[in-house]
Amino acid sequence: MEPEEQTPETPIEQEEQAPQTPVVQQEPIAEPPVEPDEEAPETPPTPDSEELRIGVFVCHCGTNIGGFVDVPAVVEYVKTLPNVAFARDNLYTCAEDGLTAIRDAIKEHKLNRVIVASCTPRTHAPLFQGVCEEAGLNKYLFEFANIREQCSWVHMKEKEDATRKAKDLIKSSVSKAALLVPQEEMKVDVVPRSLVIGGGVAGLSAALSVARQGFDVHLVEKEGVLGGFTRNLNSLSLGDKSAEDTIKPLIEHVQAHENITVHLNSQVESVSGFIGNFDTTIVTNGSSKEVKVGTIIVATGALEYIPEGLYGYGMYDNVVTLTEFEILCKSGKLPKIKNVAFIQCVGSRGQDKSYCSRICCVISIKNALYITENFAEIMGEEGAERVEVDVSVPEISSRRRRRRRMVSAEGEAAPGPAPTGGPEITIFNRDVTTYGADHEVYYNKAREKRIRFVRYTTDNLPKVTQEGDKLVVNYYHETLKTERKLQADMVVLATPLIAPPDAADLSKKLKIPIGRDGFFLEAHMKLRPIDFATDGIFVCGTARGPADITESVAQGLGTASRAAIPMARGFIQAEAILAQVDPEICTGCGTCEANCPYGAIRLSDDGVAEVLAAACKGCGCCGATCPEKAIQMMNYTDDQLLAQGRSILQGAM
Amino acid sequence: MSTDVLVIGGGIAGIQASLDIADKGGKVYLVEKTPSIGGRMAQLDKTFPTNDCSICILAPKMADCYGHPNIDVLTYSEVVGVDGEAGKFKVKVLRKARYVDETKCTGCEECVAKCPQKVPNEFDQGLGERKVIYMPFAQAVPRVVTIDKENCTWFIKEKCGACKILCEREAVDFDQKDEEVVLDVGSIIVAIGYDIWDPTPASEYGYGKYPNVFTGMEYERMINASGPTGGEMKRRSDGERPHKLAFIQCVGSRNPQLGHAYCCSVCCMFSTKEAMLAREHHDDIDSTIFYKDLRAFGKGFFEYVERAKNDYGVRYINSDATVQENPENNNPIVVYDVAGRPEKEEFDMVVLATTLVPRPDAIKIAEMLGIPLTEFKFFESKDRILAPMDTVREGVYLAGYCREPMDIPEAVAEASAAAARAVETVLAKGVTG
Amino acid sequence: MTEFEPKIVGFLCNWCSYAGADLAGVSRYQYPPEIRIIRVMCSARVDPMIVLTLFKEGADGIMIGGCHIGDCHYISGNYHTEKRAFVIRRLMEKAGLEVDRFRLEWISASEGERFASTVAEFTEKIKELGPSKVMEDSDLASRVGAAVDTSLDFRIRALLGHEVGMIEDGNVYGEKKTEDEMREIIDAAIEDEFRRSLILEITSSKPASAKELSQVTKLPTDRIVEHIATLRQKNLLAVDHIEGMTPYYVALRVGGD
Repeated sequence: MEPEEQTPETPIEQEEQAPQTPVVQQEPIAEPPVEPDEEAPETPPTPDSEELRIGVFVCHCGTNIGGFVDVPAVVEYVKTLPNVAFARDNLYTCAEDGLTAIRDAIKEHKLNRVIVASCTPRTHAPLFQGVCEEAGLNKYLFEFANIREQCSWVHMKEKEDATRKAKDLIKSSVSKAALLVPQEEMKVDVVPRSLVIGGGVAGLSAALSVARQGFDVHLVEKEGVLGGFTRNLNSLSLGDKSAEDTIKPLIEHVQAHENITVHLNSQVESVSGFIGNFDTTIVTNGSSKEVKVGTIIVATGALEYIPEGLYGYGMYDNVVTLTEFEILCKSGKLPKIKNVAFIQCVGSRGQDKSYCSRICCVISIKNALYITENFAEIMGEEGAERVEVDVSVPEISSRRRRRRRMVSAEGEAAPGPAPTGGPEITIFNRDVTTYGADHEVYYNKAREKRIRFVRYTTDNLPKVTQEGDKLVVNYYHETLKTERKLQADMVVLATPLIAPPDAADLSKKLKIPIGRDGFFLEAHMKLRPIDFATDGIFVCGTARGPADITESVAQGLGTASRAAIPMARGFIQAEAILAQVDPEICTGCGTCEANCPYGAIRLSDDGVAEVLAAACKGCGCCGATCPEKAIQMMNYTDDQLLAQGRSILQGAM
Repeated sequence: MSTDVLVIGGGIAGIQASLDIADKGGKVYLVEKTPSIGGRMAQLDKTFPTNDCSICILAPKMADCYGHPNIDVLTYSEVVGVDGEAGKFKVKVLRKARYVDETKCTGCEECVAKCPQKVPNEFDQGLGERKVIYMPFAQAVPRVVTIDKENCTWFIKEKCGACKILCEREAVDFDQKDEEVVLDVGSIIVAIGYDIWDPTPASEYGYGKYPNVFTGMEYERMINASGPTGGEMKRRSDGERPHKLAFIQCVGSRNPQLGHAYCCSVCCMFSTKEAMLAREHHDDIDSTIFYKDLRAFGKGFFEYVERAKNDYGVRYINSDATVQENPENNNPIVVYDVAGRPEKEEFDMVVLATTLVPRPDAIKIAEMLGIPLTEFKFFESKDRILAPMDTVREGVYLAGYCREPMDIPEAVAEASAAAARAVETVLAKGVTG
Repeated sequence: MTEFEPKIVGFLCNWCSYAGADLAGVSRYQYPPEIRIIRVMCSARVDPMIVLTLFKEGADGIMIGGCHIGDCHYISGNYHTEKRAFVIRRLMEKAGLEVDRFRLEWISASEGERFASTVAEFTEKIKELGPSKVMEDSDLASRVGAAVDTSLDFRIRALLGHEVGMIEDGNVYGEKKTEDEMREIIDAAIEDEFRRSLILEITSSKPASAKELSQVTKLPTDRIVEHIATLRQKNLLAVDHIEGMTPYYVALRVGGD
C-alpha cells in the first residue's frame, strides 16, 4: 500500500494542479513499454513507417488442437496469406518456450503485428499481449484466433472441416490485424478529494473512512446539524444507548478530522465533469464556493411516508407514524398509554408504494419493547405533564409539524383513569420481516414479552375508528375467521421510507438514475450495489433504498472504499478500446449521447460529440447508431469487422 | 510493518474485498480452501430479483481477481495459524498438495476424461459425479485440475497413474507435498461465507428418506445448464421431470430447537426465483411456496414476488409444512394447515429452503484470530451499529454471510466496507510506526 | 456437385455469448463447423450496415449473439441490439432476402449447450434455405444494396438511436411515444428510405424513367414521382435525358460509396 501522505494543504493549491479536461486527445501520457533487454529494437515498428509484417503462431495445445486440426497444414496455408511475414507452430504457445519464440520472432523477423491461434482470448490475450509489449510491440497490434474452444474442441470428428475452419479463423484475424493501429491507454489524473452529499449516518461513515484513507473530504449537509434521520429516533434496536448518544462519537470524529470540511446549511448547486475531475459548486446560505473533486458519494437519505387519510391519520390525534412516535418518546412528550396498536405496511407493499420498506417491522418491535420496558415511566406522574412538543427537528415536514401541534394541543392524549397492569401491545402485520440473525432475535424477544402479532391480509385491512375517547381497531381474525375489535390508546402506523423530493433534482445534476421506487438506482443490483453506472459516483444508505443503521454504516464504508480506488491510484487508466469521433463528419445531432449508458459521450461547446475517455467503456453502442457514421470503435472499426467478415466469405482454399 | 492484507475466503465477498484493496495498489493474499475461487455464487443458476445468470456476472470478477498483479490467489489452502498484531500479523498458510503443477496445467482436462474413477461431485451437491482428478466446475479459476488424494487409486494402492502418463505437459506430480508458507500482513479480512445445513435430522421433511425431496442448492444445480442434469429437473425416484413443485421455507431456520433461531435472509427470494425458473423451463410446471412470513425486503423484491404470483402463477401458502410420501409413486405429500385446519396435497417434487449455517471452520478461525462468535456461531462485530466490520481485535475485519445472514449485494457492499477498514488500518500503522 | 456449405458469420459479444461458445468448447459439445465467429465487445457494436453489407457480399447466414436482456455487461447494449435487429429484418424483407438468414440470440456464459444447439439449428435452417442468390441475381443484389444504403440513412439511424429515449422520456416537447407508435414511425421511414435508396441504386447503373422505376420497385407511379421529387431536392438525382415526353433519371453519387 502506498501511504497517501502528500495530500495538498489547501484546496486552492490542488485546484491548480488539477489536470485540464482530458477529452479524447490521444496524447499518450503512458510511458513507453519497458524494454526487457538491450537487444530490443530501438523504436517499435509503427504502421505508417513500415510495410505490414504479420507473425502468426499456431498452437497445438498438445493434442487439444493438434489432435483435431492439421496444424502443419494450417501453418503452410497461413504463410501464403497477404502480409504474413512469418508463421510457425508451437506445442504449447503459452509455455515459456512458446513465449520466447514469439519474443524472438518479433525481433528477428521485424514483426509489427502478432497473431496467436490457440485457445480463447478471454483467458489468454493478456499473457500474449504482455509478451508483445516486452518485445517492444504495442499490445493493440496483437490479435487472437480462437481455434480450440471454438474449433478443435467442437469439431472433434471432422478433422478436415476443423482444419479449414482454423484456416478461415486465422485468415479473418490476419485481415483484421492488417488494419490494427497502435493504441495508448490514456491516463487521466484524479483529484484526491471526495464530495460527500448528506450528513446522516451513511454519509458520516463514508466521509470518515475516506478521510482516514488519506483524502480530503467535503461533506455537504442541507440542515444545520449532522446526524440526519437518526436524530428523529429515540432508541436503536441494537445497543442500549439512545440513538443520539450512539451516533455522537461518529459525528465528533468527523468534526475533528483534519481532512474533512463540513458544510452545514448547504446544497450542491451544480456538478460538471467526470470521474477524477468533477467541478462542483456548494452553496451555503446564499454564498457559493467552487470545489474540484475526484469522486462523489451520494448519501442523501430518505424521508418517512406521510399516511394522509389512512387509518384515521390526520383525523384522530393519537394516530401517529412510527417516526412521530419516536419523537414523542425522545422528547418526553408521550401521553399515558397502555394499549397500543402498531399497523405495519401502511402505504407500502403494493399499497401506494410497491415495495417493502425492510426495516419497519424491527422498528415497530423496538418501540413495542420500549413501551414494555419503560412502562412504569410512561404511566408515571412525570409522564403526565404535557408541554409544547419540540418541532425543531428539521426532517419533519411542515405537514408533520401540523400534526405535532395537534398532538400537543390535545395535551392529555391519554384518556381517563390511569390503567393498571402491563401494557397491551398488538402489532398488525402482513409478514413479520425481521430478517437475519439480529432482527429475528429481537422478534423472538418481543414474543417472549407477550407482544401480540396479528396477521392481516390486503383483502381485510384493519380499520381505525374512534368510539368515545378511545381509538378502536376493527380487524379480521384470519384464523378464527371473525371480525374483532381492539381498543387502543394510540395507533402507530409503520409507513415506508420514501425518496426525498429533491432526489430528482440531484439525479439531473449528477446524471444518475432513479429506479421505479424513487430511490437512486445502482449500476448493478447484484455486483455493483453501491456504484453508479457513471464512474466516480457512488451511493449509500437510505438514498439507495430502505436500510437499517448497520447497513447504512456498512454501505457508507463501502462507498469510501470504492471512491478511494481512483484517488489512491492517482489516475484513471482509460480504456484504449474506446469511441473516437471524427469532428469533420459529426453534425452534433446528439444521438450518441442519448445512447451511451455511461454518460461518456456528449456534445462539446463546439457542437460536436466528444468522448470522455475516462468514462468510456468501449462497448461501441454509439458508433453503431451514429447517423453520420462519425464514430468508430478503436480495434473494432467497421473496416476491421467488414474485413473479417469478407475474408470469411471468401473462405480458405 | 506490513501493508499487505490477507483475505480469508474466495467467495464473492472475498473476491470483492481483494479487488478493492488491490485496485488501490495494496498487495493482497486471497486464501481459499477449495481448488477454485467463486464460492457459493458460482453454484447458483440465476440471481434474484433480475434473474441474471450468476456465473456470467461472477466469472469476469474471478478472472480479474486471479489475473490481478496485486493479488496472490492461494487456492486449496488454509490458514492454520495467526500471530502478531495489526500492522504485523504473521499468518501460517497450509498449501495443500493438489498433485498437479499449477503453472504447467493448461486445463485441457484430457486427464479428467481418462481418469477411471468417479466420486460424487460436491460442486453439484453430490447429484452428479466427478472424476478423482477434476476441474471443480466448468468456469473454475484457476483453470487447473486437482487430484483428490483420498479417492485416488495411485495414493491408495499405487496403481493407475493414467493422468500422469497422459499429461504431455508433465503437470501431474504425485510427489508434491503439502507446504506451509508464512505471510506477513498488516490486516486480515474474514469472508468465509456459509454452509448448507443437511436437513436429514429434521425427519419431518423426509429429506434422505423420500427420494423426491431436494434441497434448494440441489435444485439450483439441477436447473443450471452446466449442472449434472444439463438443466433438466429430474426426480430421484424415476428420472421423470416434475409438473408440480412445492417449496418449503424455513427448513431448520427460525427454529430454536434445531439451533438456528435466525432467519437466513435469502430463502424467500431464492425459492421465489427457483419457482419462476421452473416455469421458464417448462410452462406446465406449477409451483407452490409454503412460508411462515414472506420476507421480500430488498430492492425490487416485493415486486419480484408479485411478478412470480401474477406472471408465473406461483402460489404462496402461509403455513408451516411437513412432508410425507405416497409410496405408490414416490410423490411427496405436503401436510400443512389453513386457519388451523390440517390439509394435505400431493406434489411430484419438494424443494427445501434449508438453513444456511456458519461454516464449521468458523470456530477454528475465530480461535486462531482470538475473536468471539455470536450464539449462532457467526463472527461477532465489535460494535453492531457503528463498526459492523470491526472485531474486538484491531486489524481483523469481517464481511458477508459469516458475519450476519445477507444476500449477495449486501455481502459485496460489506466486502468493500471491510476493505476500507483494512486499508485505514494499514495506512495508520504504516504512518505511526 | 458438392454439398452446399453455407457461409455463416457469427458476431458474438465478449461477455456472454462468446463465453457461451467457449463453454461449448470446454464441455466438448459438438456442432456443425460452418459458422465462423467474430468477437465484438458488445452486440450493440454490430451496425446493421455491417450485417447487410455481408449479405450483399454473399453471406448465407448471419447470427448475432448477445447477453440476455437485463444481463448486458454494458447495462443496456443488447436492448439497442434488439431495436437494430428489427431494422435489419425489415430491410431484409424489403430487399426480398429470407429473414431467416438472420438470427439474433441471447446466449449466456453458462449456456454452452444452448450455443451448440442454436448453431446446429441455425446451420440446418440455412442449409434448408440453400445458397444466397445475391451473387447471381442482380435485381436482388441491387435491392440488398439499397438495404445497405437505407441502413446508413441519417433519418433511420437517428430515429433508431432515439427510439428508447422517445419511449421513456419523450421528445423535446415531452411527448412520449409508445413502443408500437415508434415502430410505426420507423417502419414508415424505412419504407420511404428503402424505396429512395432503391431508385438511386437502379439509376446509378442505368438511367430510368418513372414508369420503369414503378415496375421494378412495384410502387405506384405517383409515389415514385414523389420520391423522385425528394431525391432531386436533395441533389441525389437528376434528369439524364428526355425521350419523347419522358424524362430519364440518373443517380448523382457524391463522394464514393
